[in-house]
Amino acid sequence: MANSNLPRRIIKETQRLLSEPAPGISASPSEDNMRYFNVMILGPTQSPYEGGVFKLELFLPEEYPMAAPKLGRICLDILKDKWSPALQIRTVLLSIQALLSAPNPDDPLSENIAKHWKSNEAEAVETAKEWTRLYASGA
Amino acid sequence: MDFDDDYYSGGEEEDQMLYTDDDTDAEDFDFIDNASDSSELALSNRHHVRNYTVLSESDIRQRQEDDITKISTVLSISKVAASILLRHYNWNVGKIHDEWFADEEKVRSTVGLLENPVMEYKDASEATCGICFDTYPSGEMLDAGCGHPFCSSCWAGYVSIAINDGPGCLLLRCPDPSCCAAVGQDMINLLASGEEKEKYCGYFTRSYIEDNRKTKWCPAPGCDYAVDFCGGRGGGGGYDVTCHCSCSFCWNCTEEAHRPVDCDTVAKWILKNCAESENMNWILANSKPCPKCKRPIEKNQGCMHMTCTPPCKYEFCWLCLGPWTDHGQTTGGFYACNRYEEAKADKEFQEAEQQREIIKNSLERYYHYYERWATNQSSRQKALADLQQMQTVHLEKLSDLQCQPESQLKFITEAWLQIVECRRVLKWTYAYGYYLPEEEKAKREFFEYLQGEAEAALERLHQCAEKELEVYLNVKDPETDFNCFRTKLSGLTSVTKTFFENLVKALENGLSDVNAHAASN
Repeated sequence: MANSNLPRRIIKETQRLLSEPAPGISASPSEDNMRYFNVMILGPTQSPYEGGVFKLELFLPEEYPMAAPKLGRICLDILKDKWSPALQIRTVLLSIQALLSAPNPDDPLSENIAKHWKSNEAEAVETAKEWTRLYASGA
Repeated sequence: MDFDDDYYSGGEEEDQMLYTDDDTDAEDFDFIDNASDSSELALSNRHHVRNYTVLSESDIRQRQEDDITKISTVLSISKVAASILLRHYNWNVGKIHDEWFADEEKVRSTVGLLENPVMEYKDASEATCGICFDTYPSGEMLDAGCGHPFCSSCWAGYVSIAINDGPGCLLLRCPDPSCCAAVGQDMINLLASGEEKEKYCGYFTRSYIEDNRKTKWCPAPGCDYAVDFCGGRGGGGGYDVTCHCSCSFCWNCTEEAHRPVDCDTVAKWILKNCAESENMNWILANSKPCPKCKRPIEKNQGCMHMTCTPPCKYEFCWLCLGPWTDHGQTTGGFYACNRYEEAKADKEFQEAEQQREIIKNSLERYYHYYERWATNQSSRQKALADLQQMQTVHLEKLSDLQCQPESQLKFITEAWLQIVECRRVLKWTYAYGYYLPEEEKAKREFFEYLQGEAEAALERLHQCAEKELEVYLNVKDPETDFNCFRTKLSGLTSVTKTFFENLVKALENGLSDVNAHAASN
């Protein structure tokens, strides 16, 4: 079984994530693959994403922690060239939560949304609230 | 044969004596001695004072070592710390002195040379590795001087990934994301594998050349030498340098040596030569697609009855592109196509044909210059090979056959060196000519006159060195005395040299003599 020779580092990180979760963040390993995590991040208070639940999938590659965890298409320096093996799953998820509080329209995934955000922030915030209610209300 | 061998080695020793006694000729002897690798070096020596130094790998290492020792002594820091500083400051010793003595604290924190650790773990008996989270006795842990403990196997993994990731490993820092402490060569030596250490050292050597504005690698494939350029332009030799590998290149643009033509013209010319579009234009202007298989077909002569190459084998009329079977009495005979005449009367057809003609003219102009450029290039390659053959085989044979000491045959080597250099200059004047505006009539005339004179002289010299010399290599008592040949070849060498010096001077002045002349009129 793939899980049998899981490095102690991953086991310890998993234990700590479960026993002392960071506020607003939950990460639990999948039952059949301990390198695969289901993550939920609550939209930070006083952000347009407040009240939303954001689901993510996180995968720890064979080289982890020498290589960064895999996390979909998120533009975050520590997931790329700024990764250090001294960083952890917890630090990565906290960084993503912070990104929800302070979006970075200069390094966007969607060019259009970034343009909207920069030209009319109030309107873009309204759209974000609306979409959070529609697609991330956890229902 | 034994006797011969003895005779020659004796002769060589004698030559050596002769040359070492004579200061001005010492270089030329050197050249004969190391025929294969220093011919062009000797060539460039003859023309101007060197304003550059060729560095071997060990020279580079020595210079690095000198800089490291200097910084280490003056700043009273370890050699490892000095290397980190030099690397960070792109080997600029002066800048390190200035900034260090202005604000040591600031330099230390930006470069990552901590004076004291930011945390202590050595006092405790055990410490936890920040990467694998395992606990080890404190004595087994390592840190980059900052006190963030990691176990040696995690360190080894960290260092290995960085080294295999490229030259960025030279700026490696402590794995702790909040810490800036630099990881020096001492840590690398302790943790990396043999192969990784070698890689790291390679990057370290490379950084001295690549991060320094005064040094560049020789662009020849597989060459490990670098060139340190210390003169500005106008030091007599422009930017042309010659590496120990015999590659001559322009230090400024790292293309092959191209004096007297400037770097911009060369770049434009090279771009033009490799632009696929030129070929495409040529195909468009000179060929028509086969009406059946669409492959481009060039018609260079013959009748209008075309047969495409197998497997297509389609037969058609070149003029109207219609099938050949339709041709005969009805189309006005096999060799004059009425269909074509009718179509030609059509306005659209005429315009297309005109376009074709314009493209063809501009291409013909380009091909005129390109052909001469390329021919001189290959002629130079051939001359280089002949020169080497001369030095390794023919001079000895000639010396034997014509009873001349090899010291008296220097004029032949000099003739060939002159040929090689002139072919190079001549080649680049064709790139120059291509870009010389058509409307500058006086300049063009003057340029073409100088180029023509130089070219004619060179052809005479090349012919003499190649063909007339052959006689003396095969016949013991030729009709004409060997001394006459000597006088002739030496004379041609010197005349050609003068012509080319004038050409180079005129082009480097932008043909300004023409303006002066025009003004005075």
